[in-house]
Amino acid sequence: MIFGWIRLFVFGFVGLTVIYWLVSVYSRSVRRETLEKRFDAGDVEGDRDAYIEQGMTKYEKGLRKRLIWLVYIIPMVAMALTIYFVN
Amino acid sequence: MWTKIKWGIRIFLVLIVAGFLHYTLPQHDIVRITNTYNKLTPIGSNRMFYSIEDSGTGAETTSTTRDIRFIDAVFPDGQSVMVYRNEDTGWVWPPYFKYDSSSLQAEATNLKSDKDRPQWVSVTHYGWRLPIFSIFPNAVGVTPVAGPDVTIIPWVNIIILTFLAFIVFMIRRMWLQFRERTIDPALDDVAETWDDVEDRADAARDQAKGFFGKIAAWFGTWKAKPKR
Repeated sequence: MIFGWIRLFVFGFVGLTVIYWLVSVYSRSVRRETLEKRFDAGDVEGDRDAYIEQGMTKYEKGLRKRLIWLVYIIPMVAMALTIYFVN
Repeated sequence: MWTKIKWGIRIFLVLIVAGFLHYTLPQHDIVRITNTYNKLTPIGSNRMFYSIEDSGTGAETTSTTRDIRFIDAVFPDGQSVMVYRNEDTGWVWPPYFKYDSSSLQAEATNLKSDKDRPQWVSVTHYGWRLPIFSIFPNAVGVTPVAGPDVTIIPWVNIIILTFLAFIVFMIRRMWLQFRERTIDPALDDVAETWDDVEDRADAARDQAKGFFGKIAAWFGTWKAKPKR
């Protein structure tokens, strides 16, 4: 039983980490594209690279980035709920 | 011909996915429990349709013949019957994390009833009953219900399928984003490099035309002059 638990947690953790990494790369890429498009639309004054870098720094501290932790939280909550309701 | 093969493969894949989901996702049967018992069951090549020995006993993976709890039930039409097995699922697959088979068996036994005073129950289960392979759906829960006609809304399935659709959608979005931002620029680079190479080749050919053209012209001077 303990072996099953450990196996589930190790493989689950590895799998979720890969997903977390993929989602954060995707989210960053989408953010950067939005910033680029916003600048290229012509509403923004100043240097393009500086504008984008500033936006990305803001993103790294923002809520949207923290929401990616849901990748870990949702499966764990789902598992806890399943265990509660099934047994 | 090629289109037919392509569509054949697609339909085959969809069928596999649908079958897999149909096997794994929970379903509800409204039945009357007629009997509960254990049966010593040999498990052979139909192994993948069985689960494990009681979780926590340490014998989960070793035995091929074991006592399995069964639940006999009859549907409201009074004729068609169903036999559920009642096994722990353990920690891997399918992810029901069920380890209370004994308690479930006790609940099912408690809800046993006869024809004259039926107690209808909703049996949550996954899996199929295929007599030819001796495989049985695994009961996950029993709840008493008011009558044989109650409707049960499959909330769990609705949530899971919606979530799966969302995941497929996100994978597609992520792939498209990756292609747009990473692969396409790389391909453009390759295309540009290739254009450069071609330009250089063209230039060299032009030069060669000049050089060999000159030689050809020089050889040309050896040719006999057209006679007058």
